[in-house]
Amino acid sequence: MHRTVLSRTSPRALALAAGLVTQLYVAGAHAAAPASEALVNTKCASCHTAKGDGRWDRISESRRTPEGWDMTVARMGFAHGVKMTHDERSAIVKYLSDAYGLSPDESAAHRYIVDRTPSVVEHPENKLIGDTCARCHSYGRIAVQRRTESDWRKLVHFHVGQFPAIEIQAGGRDRNWFDIAVGDASVELGKVYGFESDSWNKWKAQQPADASGNWRLVGHKPGAGAYEGTATVQRTGNDAYSVSMVLRYENGTSENLKGSAIVYSGHEWRATMKSGEREINQVMTLADGGRALSGRWFESGYDAIGGVLRAVRADGAQPAVLSVQPAALKAGTRRRLVINGVGLDGDVSLGSGVKVLSVAERSLDRVVVEVESAKDAVSGPREVKVGDARSGEALKVYQRIDYVKITPDHPMARVGGNGGSMNKVPAQLEALAYTVGPDGKKGTADDLLLGAMPAAWSFDNLNKVAAEMKDARFAGRIDQNGLFMTNDAGPNPQRKYRTNNAGELKVTAAVKDGTRTVKATAPLIVTVQRFNDPPIR
Amino acid sequence: MKIKTTAAALAASFGVTLFGALPATALAAKDYLVTAARPNLVFVMDAKERKVVKTHTIPNTSMGNSPITLVHSRDGKTAYVIHNRWETVSGIDLDSGKEVFRAELSGGDIRGKSPFPMDLSPDGKELAVYVNPTQLLPGEYKVLDPYIAIYRTDAGTDAEPARKLKVPRRVSTLAWSAKGDTLYAFSWDMLKLDPQTGAVKGKHPWRSWKNGEQGEPDTLAIWPQWEQTNVFATPYYVAYANKPEGDPSALRAGIWTLDLEKDTVHFKEFENAGVVLFSSVVNPVRRDETYTVYTQLTKVNTKTGRMDRVDLDHTYYNVNVSSDGKELYIGGTQGDIAVYDSATLKRIGNIRTPGGGDQVLTSLRIFQR
Repeated sequence: MHRTVLSRTSPRALALAAGLVTQLYVAGAHAAAPASEALVNTKCASCHTAKGDGRWDRISESRRTPEGWDMTVARMGFAHGVKMTHDERSAIVKYLSDAYGLSPDESAAHRYIVDRTPSVVEHPENKLIGDTCARCHSYGRIAVQRRTESDWRKLVHFHVGQFPAIEIQAGGRDRNWFDIAVGDASVELGKVYGFESDSWNKWKAQQPADASGNWRLVGHKPGAGAYEGTATVQRTGNDAYSVSMVLRYENGTSENLKGSAIVYSGHEWRATMKSGEREINQVMTLADGGRALSGRWFESGYDAIGGVLRAVRADGAQPAVLSVQPAALKAGTRRRLVINGVGLDGDVSLGSGVKVLSVAERSLDRVVVEVESAKDAVSGPREVKVGDARSGEALKVYQRIDYVKITPDHPMARVGGNGGSMNKVPAQLEALAYTVGPDGKKGTADDLLLGAMPAAWSFDNLNKVAAEMKDARFAGRIDQNGLFMTNDAGPNPQRKYRTNNAGELKVTAAVKDGTRTVKATAPLIVTVQRFNDPPIR
Repeated sequence: MKIKTTAAALAASFGVTLFGALPATALAAKDYLVTAARPNLVFVMDAKERKVVKTHTIPNTSMGNSPITLVHSRDGKTAYVIHNRWETVSGIDLDSGKEVFRAELSGGDIRGKSPFPMDLSPDGKELAVYVNPTQLLPGEYKVLDPYIAIYRTDAGTDAEPARKLKVPRRVSTLAWSAKGDTLYAFSWDMLKLDPQTGAVKGKHPWRSWKNGEQGEPDTLAIWPQWEQTNVFATPYYVAYANKPEGDPSALRAGIWTLDLEKDTVHFKEFENAGVVLFSSVVNPVRRDETYTVYTQLTKVNTKTGRMDRVDLDHTYYNVNVSSDGKELYIGGTQGDIAVYDSATLKRIGNIRTPGGGDQVLTSLRIFQR
């Protein structure tokens, strides 16, 4: 029999067709922005009764991140037949995010779920909410929403209507899930993540900041190391900008990014940039009245690959040291240090036990110095000063690396590719070096994180079952930058049970410290595809 | 009561030629398997011949592509299957492939979904379907109380429930007693309902099952496959609060059975939980033997707790057993139904289903003709 292609596609394919991918559709969002309230009336009010004054049934009973609004608006398209162009959808999301967003404080504790930080192990702050909601998706997803109690309850009704297995699946069937969810859990959600908030009211009353200008930036990309660079931001419309960035890595490589950004809710910076053939998404926060920008960025389709970024105004900013490369200096060594910042005018001071031998290069945003650390320099952080510019504790001096930790603590990778709909999800690991501090004991408050160090990476089976299944042979491979890439998805005829290339591994990082080698291990779980991978998980 | 008759006699009584391939002379009844598969297929297989003898298409499945529960009439004439994202039940004539029954669970502003529970009365006259209705209001959904819709199977392709029975939430299985006087609804406990009124006549405890230090046992019972014995069987896991964390015996696995003829319950723990157990079936000849599948095929003597186990070549979800108790049929994935010897657990054959679609969470049923 003949049917349309659409009728046979999966909800995921429909979601993709609707553009519900891992990042916001940024381009074009500014174009229709002024007409957005009218657009909400046109597109939404046939079901969500307009109450006037920018309020609609349901819509104005919740507040969310831009991604949260985009997921809802996209669902109205693929599940309820609302016809929207990309520009219309973007304009609605922009309008709703501005009118019903979250203040910086409200999402600060759960940025990881918005910026797609990989392999975060959550510790739900509220047990009832965690038990009711976070057995199926992240706790962070709830924590970056605000709703009235009544709207939380309506969300529960939606869940049962939309996901009919919810009451019989693992994690739901051990309780009277629906009764709990519409009862105590909705009450609790209304209290803990309620709609009304002083923080948002105050935030919304502020004048929106203008991000245009020249910026100085520093950051870190796991696997590639520290970088520094600059950004130029030009205003192209209401909260809309064109952006160009240069990132220069400590390994000698560099990249130029060009793209556009939109600021939602007065602070939620979302940029889509091109770096060569790769597309980069930035999920950042504009802070300090438009004088600071920070957050995470990741590659489209591979959000485990990315980095963190911090930027300050280069024009007219207070002098500041933003970073030192390398950030850790072993006692009794001589080497070249790069100090990155703004307004770097004056003498360089690196704290006790570190002597500046010469200045090799200098400008207002970068100073390169030859330094020597004393053999008996005490392990600890040092404030770096260049004239009036201060660093906080940008430089760490250490006698020896006492221990190493692999990060993320509980890395997870996913098989993918092989003609399937989902990309492989790699795990980008880092070996973080520590000294134990003055008390000589590991794991105490005075331990000092020195930063990520080069390591020799290897892995083996995690346990007996993994050894029997030969997981280490099938699950993937790791390069010497700590990037673990999985093998193909799908049944593997070479494996017992013809199972896929999932596995339980133990990964080892061996870090050289002079003639010593310091090792760390971590469990690395290689699992199956996440077929439902919304912007907020 | 199970109907066992000859193919020729059945052919005579129904006035049709069965499957076209059967010899004209009267033979002992044969086992046929019936199952569904993505996106819209129903297969009938000759178990001993290891081949698909009929492939039918469920009409108008445009809303979804994964049929779930399949229930057959005991005469092997009709199979009822839930599809269309769980919002439609179709009855397919297994000889002609014609849709002879169709019930839409949704209508107007109500979205009705049946998350697996469905069974046919022993006389084949009534079909019980558990329905979770949701009212789709402008701007919001409203969850309504679930009900069991009882349809007459002769209600045609525009079937409406003959009656609706009140029932608690979270039902995963409906099972009609052999005599037809009880409709079991497996919610947090196994409820015994009057199939006429829905009145709760009693229950077999599950959540309220007290057994020493054990916690609440957990099972996912969504595979109806008790037609050979009239014994419902499901694997379960149960935690023991009095065991220290990390003690392998703190989580145990067992088989729970309910005799649908005698209304008696039996349970047997047989191992510390270590492997995934999906669905179980009871041997009609050696009735203490149950078989459970996932990536292993596990045989458990529910009297002694003795267990035998073999690894499988891939994952399987459902299991059924031949009328003589000698062969096991396991299916669910990769378009592949494997045949195992129930005594030795040795693989003795397989049946490939055409079309490339997996069975996934549908049922694997067996009947005789």
